[in-house]
Amino acid sequence: MKKLNLGTLVAMAGLSLALVFTPSLLAQKKMIQVKGSDTMINLVQILAEEYMLRNPKAAIAVLGGGSGTGISALINGTCDIADTSREWKESEVNLAWEKGVTPRNFAIAVDGLSIIVNEKNPLAKLTMDQVGSIYRGEIKNWKAVGGPDKAISLYGRQSNSGTYVFLQEHVLKNKNYSTDMKEMNGNAQIIEGVKADEAAIGYVGVGYVVDKATGKPMAGLKVLNISKDEKSEAFSPMDKQAVDTRNYPIARPLYQTTKGKPSGDVAAFIQWEVGPEGQKIVEREGFYTIGGAYKQMNDKNFK
Amino acid sequence: MERKSIQRVAVFAFLAVLASANLFAQQTFSTTIYFDYSFNLTQNGYLTGTDAAKALNNKFGFRRAYFRYENKVSDTLKFRFTFDADNTANITAVDFGKASTKKDDKLRPFIKHLYLDYSGLLPTSSLKIGMIETLTFKMAEDEWGYRSVAKTLVDGYKDVTGVDIRASSADLGASLTGAIGKFVRYGAMVSSGEGYSHPEYNKFKKLSGNLRIIPAAGLSVVGYYEYEKQDDVNKAVMYKVDGYFDMVKGLTLAAEYFSYNNDKFMNADKSHYDSRGLSIFGVYKIVVDKFNIFARYDHYIPNSTKSLSNINLVIAGFDWTPVHKSWRLQPNIWYYTYADSTRKSDAYFNLTFFLSF
Repeated sequence: MKKLNLGTLVAMAGLSLALVFTPSLLAQKKMIQVKGSDTMINLVQILAEEYMLRNPKAAIAVLGGGSGTGISALINGTCDIADTSREWKESEVNLAWEKGVTPRNFAIAVDGLSIIVNEKNPLAKLTMDQVGSIYRGEIKNWKAVGGPDKAISLYGRQSNSGTYVFLQEHVLKNKNYSTDMKEMNGNAQIIEGVKADEAAIGYVGVGYVVDKATGKPMAGLKVLNISKDEKSEAFSPMDKQAVDTRNYPIARPLYQTTKGKPSGDVAAFIQWEVGPEGQKIVEREGFYTIGGAYKQMNDKNFK
Repeated sequence: MERKSIQRVAVFAFLAVLASANLFAQQTFSTTIYFDYSFNLTQNGYLTGTDAAKALNNKFGFRRAYFRYENKVSDTLKFRFTFDADNTANITAVDFGKASTKKDDKLRPFIKHLYLDYSGLLPTSSLKIGMIETLTFKMAEDEWGYRSVAKTLVDGYKDVTGVDIRASSADLGASLTGAIGKFVRYGAMVSSGEGYSHPEYNKFKKLSGNLRIIPAAGLSVVGYYEYEKQDDVNKAVMYKVDGYFDMVKGLTLAAEYFSYNNDKFMNADKSHYDSRGLSIFGVYKIVVDKFNIFARYDHYIPNSTKSLSNINLVIAGFDWTPVHKSWRLQPNIWYYTYADSTRKSDAYFNLTFFLSF
């Protein structure tokens, strides 16, 4: 019989390894992977923890990285749920189509996107146009919008952030941000920057600006009222009624997206989030509960 | 000015742009490396390799290192700079029985990509200018996903058959790619035709284009065509058809077929011949980010008038992430059979180490 050489032995060992590891990998506890929006990460982590307390067999891992990162992960099959604080871009829809992914969106909360300044800034409100002009770099001094004579210091997110894209589409009218904007990694960094910088302006999800003990903005911050235009009344993102009635002009739904119709553990988790228990937590964490139109959309997408 | 000088000026111009980029623009650095521990399982190499190669039946082999810098200057403008080092860049004169003709065989980097990418020209489009990716097999490579294990059919054709079909993964020129709705993707490119390894030596440009139709989610058919005059008389033409099936969760099935005709490809009796090839492959993600299996069958027809030159290649293996996705082990077997009955089959086992960070 011909002797086996070293290479044959190694090949056989490799294939044996595959046979040994495959069943154990398949037997791993199925963990729901959630990835995406940094605006949503704290909220979804808390929702997941509460859900796992009630369902000890459930295992959920929640990661951030931005809405774009979550969408890419869903398309590549590396997560089960993508958290997104914006609509999908056309290029993402196209890529999903190429890869055989048909996304289904579920609104789990509503956010009043908050424009924040340092608490020492005397300004109380801005129009949508003014916010857009400031972030495009067309208005460079607070004096131009009724504030102090100080150069405006811009704080924002990186382009993989859903909030970055949402503001660009809805407020900057799809034009580029000023290249002077400091691109921060997350909401918390923007808040720290604005607290430390008297000339700062930033944008974050409403759940990040509320001091949960007092229900008021965090110390060091001021949340600006925003109006649709010069003639309209300005509203606060902390005014639930104004957000619900869309009088607050930069409110947005926060979505979870699945690859096709969700089933099993994934469907059960999302059902719970949009149900009474989950929505109570959404409100407790400073975001707003979903209304009728979003509920209808969710019901349709569960079917 | 000499061509090499022009290239050097272009490199410095790009580096100047790079250096002056806005500090707050999004900049990313990434690295991918792969190397093998390989075994010649059959040691039949009297025809397929030298005696020295036959004797060296197991070895470590470095194959590729990429260092990439990307800078998103604005939402519509970004640039990419990729350094590449491979096992042939500096050791072309090496064979296993002789010493290199160079002082040493150290791996040295070369420029693979150096381009601007502007996405504001048309909706969902990308205009690239510089040393850019070609359209020839990028889609197939994305579907295959295991460049670390094996180049795709057209990319690796010369390595397997020895016939140069002038297919390069990057070239100096400009391309426009984009989407028309969900169902159509298009691409058009004009380039030097010399790839990233050589400066342009003639006035003729390579023109190429592709069209991808996606009638259903996860089902694609791609047509590709390229044309380049070789000199005032001769031309070279390639067409290629791909099909991709991504409709089942975790499973990718694909096939690609190409035909390359170069007027300069002539037998001794002055008859022309084509070079052709067919590749069918599948990848199945058993546990996402942990364990995948893959298999491929290639059929090479380097000379369409001489069937004895045909080669079959089967590749199979798995991709295991033991600890973290930045480090993967990809054991794989390559099995060659030849239409020429005087050639014995060859089999190789590679333990491929893949690192990315």
